[in-house]
Amino acid sequence: MAENPKIICVTGGKGGTGKTLVAVNLAVMFKNENYNVLLIDGDVENPNTFLLLGGELSHGTEVPFFIPKIIEEKCTKCGLCSKNCATHALLHIPDAYPIPMLTVCSGCKLCYKICPEKAIEADSKILGWTYSEEMRGISLSLGELRPSEARSAGIVEVLLEKLDNVLENNPEIYDIIILDTAPGAHCDVELLIGKADLVIPITEPTKFGELDLLRIIELIELMNKEYKVVVNRSSLLGFRDEFLRQLEEKNINILGDIPLDDDIVSSYCQGIPIMDKKCEYKGGEGYNAFEKIFNDLKIWLKMDKPKEGK
Amino acid sequence: MERKAIGVISGKGGVGKTMLTASLATLASNDPEIHAIVMDCDVDAPNLALILPPENEADIKTEDTFTTLKATFLEDKCVHCKQCIDEHFCEFNALSWNEDEEIPEINYLSCEGCNSCKVLCPEHAFEINAVKSGEIITYMTKLNLALVYGKTRLGSTTSGKLVSDAKEFAKELDEFSESNLIIIDGPPGIGCPVIATVSGLDFVITITEPTPSGLHDLIRAIQVVQQFGIPFGIIINKYDLKSSFQEKFKRFIEDTGYDILGNIPFDLSIPNSLSFAEPVVIYDPDSEASKSIKEIYKKIKDRLILL
Repeated sequence: MAENPKIICVTGGKGGTGKTLVAVNLAVMFKNENYNVLLIDGDVENPNTFLLLGGELSHGTEVPFFIPKIIEEKCTKCGLCSKNCATHALLHIPDAYPIPMLTVCSGCKLCYKICPEKAIEADSKILGWTYSEEMRGISLSLGELRPSEARSAGIVEVLLEKLDNVLENNPEIYDIIILDTAPGAHCDVELLIGKADLVIPITEPTKFGELDLLRIIELIELMNKEYKVVVNRSSLLGFRDEFLRQLEEKNINILGDIPLDDDIVSSYCQGIPIMDKKCEYKGGEGYNAFEKIFNDLKIWLKMDKPKEGK
Repeated sequence: MERKAIGVISGKGGVGKTMLTASLATLASNDPEIHAIVMDCDVDAPNLALILPPENEADIKTEDTFTTLKATFLEDKCVHCKQCIDEHFCEFNALSWNEDEEIPEINYLSCEGCNSCKVLCPEHAFEINAVKSGEIITYMTKLNLALVYGKTRLGSTTSGKLVSDAKEFAKELDEFSESNLIIIDGPPGIGCPVIATVSGLDFVITITEPTPSGLHDLIRAIQVVQQFGIPFGIIINKYDLKSSFQEKFKRFIEDTGYDILGNIPFDLSIPNSLSFAEPVVIYDPDSEASKSIKEIYKKIKDRLILL
């Protein structure tokens, strides 16, 4: 019987610590060893995985979202819809038709369901898009929120439905699934952590990094997930050892650290992941750090026996 | 100057929003023409308080907010008809059926408190209650200006609402009526909390770095600001970052004709100041980075006077 793919969630609390950098390079390293990799970019407000992979997005699939449409000929101006709308998205002035305030509409459809005159129809708007791509031998599933829309979780849910579909019907097509999250500790991040077998929070050795790391760990522990931390830019200002020791004193498990490295910055800006076989920068401190993290991760996942080539 | 509200956003995280906000607040506190209030609306990961600590710890006021709505199931009223599941009352998939006990279960995380289950259940077996969504913290900083920030309760979903609550809270402060500048540190991203932050501002400062993701996320953030029709300017942090993307980046920004408020060089005074949790303009006022931020402050003030 085929084993279910292992699901790793890369997250971090603070923005700009290197979540996408780590998620993409882990995906590349698994692919280098002939594993079938699915990378899910769940930072739907600002999906960046494709930029780091140096690819372009093709045609997206629209994610529709309910909006109420008032049919004035049928409406009796009774105000029932407005009275029951929790987010006050239907403005009711006596003797006037209700006015939809779409920016606060949650899409719950209650108005549509309860109107006694059937004077509200279910219309839809575009909340964003999802994309399925192949880049550098990695399957990429990516969500994108349409700018000025607020309900990013609606896009993350679609990505997770697609994931559930794979896990239910074809779990054997992937060996490993990597989830990249948004910064913060809000619902989008929670939804993704909820799917993971293992969580890797990325931090940096600054006071901001530490504070946000402790907050995301609180969330991860609340959700009963196993985790190990990666410290990025660890050589910044010479605080590496002190920072790692502080984490250890708090009983925080560390998977590894990545020093400040010009090769990483250059490969990042070129859109060629440093661990990709085609990347010109090999053997530097950053490269070696990634190799070490990958080897330790495989031991943690009990995947340390090499997969046979195809 | 009449009271103006400005906010710092970026799209991409970690490009210097909080560093910049703390420095602008410091410069404002030394400016006799300005009476400022400073806010942190990155309610998921509020960090500004680290760098702008209180003058007096005993002075910190914390207020819980109860603006998140969640459904509660009332088992004694349930007649096990399963209509809530069969007729798909909940569009957020927060209701599932417990086969053993023949009752619905509520997924607390997915529940939006939208009223649907409460209104649609013929037996009235659901009610909606306000639960703790987070807290709003306020104190006088060592700069002698008031700081207000929100902090979400982990697992409580609604960060945009808490941003709006924190902004309303700030308006009730005594210091607000005397103030003529509100400076807000915004969240990363472009979603709900960013929209709540930007809404009602007079001017938006966008900060970015010359990398592909920095530019990509900046463009998306600007699209949000433009929807609101709010004037904005751009600051490029780590301006001289060694990157093959630099040329493309500069050409793109120049072609847009956007208002460039200034460039901040990649300068060790910034990470150093952060490691001591001090605004860079205090830690090393003569560094290249500090000089550029002082120029930026003047430019922003010029923009605000003209609004």
